[in-house]
Amino acid sequence: MSTMLRVKSVSKRFGGLVVLRSVSFQVDEGAIVGLIGPNGSGKTTMFNIITGFLRPDAGDVEFRGRSVVGLAPFKIAHMGIARTFQLVRPFTGLTTTENVAAAILYGRGAGSVREAQKEACNWLRYVGLEDAIDKSVGTLTLAGKKRLELARALATGPRLLLLDEVFGGLNPTESESAMALVRRIRDELRITVLLVEHVMRVVMGLCDRVIVLDAGQVIAQGSAAAIQADPQVRRIYLGEEYGAAC
Amino acid sequence: MSRAAVAVLVGMLLVLPWVGAREYPLALLYSTFMYAAMAVAWNIIGGFAGYLSFGHAAFFGLGGYTTGLLLVHAGLSPFLTAPVGGVVAAVFAAMTGYPCMRLRGPYFAVVTMILGLIVRALVLNFPWTGAAGGLWMPLPPWEPLAARRVFYYAMLAVFVLTVLTARAVRIGKMGVGLEAIREDEDAAQSIGVPAVRLKISALMLSAGLTGLVGGIYAYDRSYIHPDFMFDLNLSVLAVLMALLGGRQSWFGPVLGAVVVRFVDEILTIWIGTEAARIIFGLGLALVIVLLPDGLLPHLVQLRRRVPRKSAGRPVPVVRP
Repeated sequence: MSTMLRVKSVSKRFGGLVVLRSVSFQVDEGAIVGLIGPNGSGKTTMFNIITGFLRPDAGDVEFRGRSVVGLAPFKIAHMGIARTFQLVRPFTGLTTTENVAAAILYGRGAGSVREAQKEACNWLRYVGLEDAIDKSVGTLTLAGKKRLELARALATGPRLLLLDEVFGGLNPTESESAMALVRRIRDELRITVLLVEHVMRVVMGLCDRVIVLDAGQVIAQGSAAAIQADPQVRRIYLGEEYGAAC
Repeated sequence: MSRAAVAVLVGMLLVLPWVGAREYPLALLYSTFMYAAMAVAWNIIGGFAGYLSFGHAAFFGLGGYTTGLLLVHAGLSPFLTAPVGGVVAAVFAAMTGYPCMRLRGPYFAVVTMILGLIVRALVLNFPWTGAAGGLWMPLPPWEPLAARRVFYYAMLAVFVLTVLTARAVRIGKMGVGLEAIREDEDAAQSIGVPAVRLKISALMLSAGLTGLVGGIYAYDRSYIHPDFMFDLNLSVLAVLMALLGGRQSWFGPVLGAVVVRFVDEILTIWIGTEAARIIFGLGLALVIVLLPDGLLPHLVQLRRRVPRKSAGRPVPVVRP
């Protein structure tokens, strides 16, 4: 299995605040990898560096063997990395279908506007929004908007999908079906997934591997079970209580 | 508007100069075409992409001065060189757009406004532009009525070209990208929209068309001066007309320009220029406060409401 993403000694500071301190990890092709850590540990900053919205002060990010550091976000999207945003950011003035059509037109650069709109309906169905085709974004619930963002990301035809807290704010039923959807994305579409998540049930149930960040440093990485058993992770992040409950 | 309605309207406008229309109605329509073309051109960057430029007078003036100088120094007819004026404006847009386009919201608006003022100051001080004395051109070689007809058709042609361009942008791939940028530029980039390149292309198109309008207008005036070729009011007027009509489609700015031009004319005739300006300004402010999406969505709603009243709340989003 080849390496999809390799993060090498990435450091980032905002003024005097060190957000990432020589962070290294890798994501294998076909895996679902979780990136966890307390608030402020640098997870979203890491995402922004991988997708080109931020430039690391040091280190390198390689996607399928090619460095993406210094490339514009749209170029990185063209290379095959798609993302969702922590706070949902659909194009609210556009319909659901137009949101996804935009991603088809620009993510893959293929076809006419009409064809893109037709194909967009397929993606909306894929993420379970068949009832929301051609609707205004305002009619969607939070869970619906998150699915729309997912459809938009998938429509760019990515090899690697970065999900920033897509499960936050979902009720247990919604989150259960979202987990099934992420598995299908990996199994059917063969898209590698890197996700930032706070909901531990999701991380432990979904991820093949987990990377734990704390204060900008990787403090542990391994299988979900190994991470759960790691005493340092328990103390810093999961809390004694969660560890005891397992 | 339906295709047939547009065809009938354009047909009527084409024959109008030959069915008894004298100087005044031709001049009124000429200036309406001019304002409409400016508003539609402004809307490509201001409406579709959501970058509110307050500096479009710079493009207008550059187009005007380019054709004026080419006529004075090279003897070339502005009808031939107006496209050159458009190109000069577009090149200027590309040069200034690259740094300006990094700014968003009010910062972009203020910087474009200042750019417009800088260009005006430069032209006022370069001796080869006629400086503060203005630029005198040879008069167009036609009798007054014939001249009105010629300029009427020239401006109509520029207006139609502008509308066709804006419409093509709006319904094509570029329009989708610009809309995505307007809605959320970061999210747009994350799905692969080359935001910088698209914004600069849109600004160049917008500026080029505005420069073309300025080129024709300059020839019609025969005498141009920075005070009215780079007038801040022109920049503001383009914004107002587009906002008034509605920014979502190419038709909104046309509607806004027609309303502005005719209401302005009627008020000026009835109660005089100065008082008209005050009433007009208040009216515009009211419309913009009360109808932030412009007139067009509400007109469309009215039309939809007539046949079936119980159809529920009409969708407020307008598609061309």
